[in-house]
Amino acid sequence: MTASHPLPRRRVLSGLVAAMVALPLALGACSSEDKPAADGKVELSFFWWGGEARAQITEQALALYTSKHPNVTFKKTWQANQGYFDKLATLTAGNDAPDIFQIDDNFLAEYATRNVTADLAEYSKSGKIDTSKFPKGLIEYGTVDGKLAGLAFGENTQGLVYNKTKLEAAGVALPTTGQSWEDHIAWAKDAAAKTKVAGTMDPSADYKAFWVWLRQQGKELYNGKELGFTQADVQAWFELWKGARDAKATPTPDVIHEGNATDVTKQLVVTGKALTSWVWANQLPELQKNTKDQLGVIAYPGDASKQWPRASMYFSVYRGSKNKDVAADVLNFLANDPEAGKILGTDRGLPSNTDIRTQVAASTDNASMKETIKVTGELAKNFGPAPTVPPKGHSTVRSELIKAAEEAQYGRATPAQAAEQFFAASQAAISR
Amino acid sequence: MTLQRLARPLTLVLLSAVVLYPLVWMLGSSFKSQEEVLNNMSVLPNVWTPGNYLDGWNNFDVSFGRFFVNSALVAGLTVVANCVSCLLAAYAFARLKFKLRGFWFAIMIGTLLLPGHVLIVPQFVMFKTFGWVGGDWPYAPLIVPQLLATEAFFVFLMVQFMRGVPRELDEAATIDGCTPYGVFRHVILPLSRPALVSTAIFSFIWTWNDFFRQLVYLSDLEKYTAPVALTLFIDSSGQSSVGPMFAMSVLSLAPVFLFFVAFQRMLVEGINTSGLKG
Amino acid sequence: MSPVATTTARHTPTVPPAGSAAHQRRDRPARHRSESKAGYVFLTPWLLGLVTITAVPMLMSLYLSFTNYDVLSDWESMEWVGLDNYRTMFTEDPSFWHAVKTTLVFALVATPLKLAAALGVAVLLNKGFKAAGLFRGLFYLPSLLGGSVALAIVWVNMFNRDGAFNSFLSWFGIEGKAWVNDPDFALGTLILLAVWQFGAPMVIFLAGLKQVPNELYEAASVDGASPVRKFISITLPMLSPVIFFNLVLETINGFQGFTSAFVLSNGTGGPVDSTLMYTLHLYIKGWNEYQMGYASAMAWVFLLAIGLVTAVVFRTGKFWVHYSDGED
Repeated sequence: MTASHPLPRRRVLSGLVAAMVALPLALGACSSEDKPAADGKVELSFFWWGGEARAQITEQALALYTSKHPNVTFKKTWQANQGYFDKLATLTAGNDAPDIFQIDDNFLAEYATRNVTADLAEYSKSGKIDTSKFPKGLIEYGTVDGKLAGLAFGENTQGLVYNKTKLEAAGVALPTTGQSWEDHIAWAKDAAAKTKVAGTMDPSADYKAFWVWLRQQGKELYNGKELGFTQADVQAWFELWKGARDAKATPTPDVIHEGNATDVTKQLVVTGKALTSWVWANQLPELQKNTKDQLGVIAYPGDASKQWPRASMYFSVYRGSKNKDVAADVLNFLANDPEAGKILGTDRGLPSNTDIRTQVAASTDNASMKETIKVTGELAKNFGPAPTVPPKGHSTVRSELIKAAEEAQYGRATPAQAAEQFFAASQAAISR
Repeated sequence: MTLQRLARPLTLVLLSAVVLYPLVWMLGSSFKSQEEVLNNMSVLPNVWTPGNYLDGWNNFDVSFGRFFVNSALVAGLTVVANCVSCLLAAYAFARLKFKLRGFWFAIMIGTLLLPGHVLIVPQFVMFKTFGWVGGDWPYAPLIVPQLLATEAFFVFLMVQFMRGVPRELDEAATIDGCTPYGVFRHVILPLSRPALVSTAIFSFIWTWNDFFRQLVYLSDLEKYTAPVALTLFIDSSGQSSVGPMFAMSVLSLAPVFLFFVAFQRMLVEGINTSGLKG
Repeated sequence: MSPVATTTARHTPTVPPAGSAAHQRRDRPARHRSESKAGYVFLTPWLLGLVTITAVPMLMSLYLSFTNYDVLSDWESMEWVGLDNYRTMFTEDPSFWHAVKTTLVFALVATPLKLAAALGVAVLLNKGFKAAGLFRGLFYLPSLLGGSVALAIVWVNMFNRDGAFNSFLSWFGIEGKAWVNDPDFALGTLILLAVWQFGAPMVIFLAGLKQVPNELYEAASVDGASPVRKFISITLPMLSPVIFFNLVLETINGFQGFTSAFVLSNGTGGPVDSTLMYTLHLYIKGWNEYQMGYASAMAWVFLLAIGLVTAVVFRTGKFWVHYSDGED
């Protein structure tokens, strides 16, 4: 195919295949036309990821909705997060996406900027979805290009989880919120010497730690659709942690690599390979389940007011849904109904509706859940403004950060080289 | 002489110890508590937790047995479909002379070469057009293609085996008045047992382990198959039940292992070509 | 003379020069027309499947490789980009060449090792003895695990710093590494995993060995041939169609090697891209970054490259594969 005669051939080919693509879509549209029946019966498809516990409470809450609105039933599908987004993407490509689906901030912009999600702003304005009790930042953090792409369904913030048992046994002072990054590294070095366990996980590959640190330097991870930092910033970040590794405050690179996985069960504070892990505060109860040692949680080092209320996940409505109004009503119910709130608890993060949050906090008897709510609540008093939702290309930026940071951790690149590599790659990723 | 006689069993025992160690480790881990799986690397658990099996079996609204039944259904139908459809195509390629045979054979090999991940979306769109997606019996996209010999691997496998069958047998049959259909029925079919058994074994096991396609097409918990259900134990961002996952993984090995042991005997007995004379 | 005896005559331990058997049977009578018809009758299901199920998605992916298709957007907003995806691949994507290299190393090392293991064990197990069936099953067990979640956890724990492999090394006073987490060795553990799952080609070899007529070995024994001699002069040539099959398939599998790299690295290809196979890179582009047009282009380049390799293997097959049907 030469560039000299691109037009004729191109037209023939694209005509042919457009027909091939269009035919299934046209036919598919006929076969799946679920017009709301005359009797007003509606079936909404509802798709989320999670474990068995989440499945049970979600099904309960949806059943509660059906009991109040007998004409609305649900086709529920749930999956673990392995494969969830593959399936969601495939369904979307087949114009067959669920009416309501769960999504997080890594993917929200990917879906929103490609017009998969319905704009919920009008429902929010008209009060059909009542967001008056939501923290303001939480609504902002679901807005992409001026449209409300997802309704935040749970709030969390960064949390530094530490092993209380091991520290107390060795007589090391517990870390506290407000330590500077340098202080934290010095503390970790001391703790490592006394406990014989690596003091702190090296979070240089972790975008959320990098992001908090950037905000404390007056920078951002993203400014709209551009990078909010310079190559020099990355280099300073990598150098900070090279210092920590050289001082033996962190584990060896192979162990750091294990901790770079996001799985709860691989966090070093759980596997006993480090005294701290850099996680989301709301993960504390799950982390606690996996270890006998007592865990505690504080804010990330530095100025904690630079952390923000992050939507742990959202529910979005498919733009092609034929029952958007009903879907919006369901979301309103799940977010604001006290009974539903009681059922759903803090499984997806702290409830977005602050009244419900207070109610849930008062009724829980899970100690680590209580601590999470307490710590997040204290931090929330000082939260500054939320950043914008990460733009399209964010997941590539995340994996490029891991790659570059690991190059530095394994000593295959200097912080300067790794910074250069990461900066170039992430610029390419978000400008696509 | 004794040394020589001992060499084979010794090698086999040593080799199987090495090969099986990871599996024994897995078996051991299926009896460990969640916390132990993450921290204790030895084969045996410190505290035996047989409860993993019960928990895993009853972990979901639907009992795990249901997932096994679904998997067995899909795998069983796939085995039958592959054996029949691929055998027909293989006979044509291996034994019959027809126009464009080389061309079609090359195309068939070609269909093996394209990485499957770029076919998922087009296939989904296509099956949706056919009206096969969803509904009360969502397994059609997993089984109907097998009825049409789309699994080129097995066609190629059977072609290679058939080409190992002496042509003289066909010719003897032809001289006796057999048409190509008769040759197929009386010569090739009975002699294809090793190829058929291999095909059955592989079809069964691959389908039993297949994840991506089953993930995409099955959306109702009651219709999930074992590999899809196994991933439900581990939600890496939150709740993970590693112990029960290991327990169910061990259990899901059992049917395939039994299937293999039952059928491998047929491989071993071999075929007695001389018995077919006349 | 029974048909088998005929075969025996043609494949005496001293294998006839390749091709000589073929020439004897080129002059078959004019049954061609009915045979041609029968050919298409038997081929019908496959042809139907090709047209209705296989071809459409393949051609669609070929078309998509010239577009910027991104999975999520409306199909209407997809744009034709000509050869851009192909150009980017060869000139602007450093990970592409890295993935090519990783895949080549994996396929060229893992495939021969796996086949050798499979053939070796198959020959050991071929002789009928009491426990043979049990051993066959046991050696096949690893393959049954496929690419499950459990497998990933098991393998990581075998080759981690405190894993079984290092305990083994410590008997010899060697201090091991965290092999799975080391960019220099992670690919090695993947290769070992591939070799460990040698069960599938082993089963095919076993089935093939059963097709070798015993009379050949008996005749050779009478001539006083040693076991090694019998293996080289009888087993290998008689098994060559099956060896050929396994070689083609395992080569394709080796190059496609996705599952184990995916589960062991959590879908990242890490540490530091050391296990970033071609197909994994393709998957990340298509499904994590939603550049399905680009991924499709990668898939078609892959098809062409592997098609070429396969064609070469088929060509060389003419020199060493002996079919009992007299064709080559």
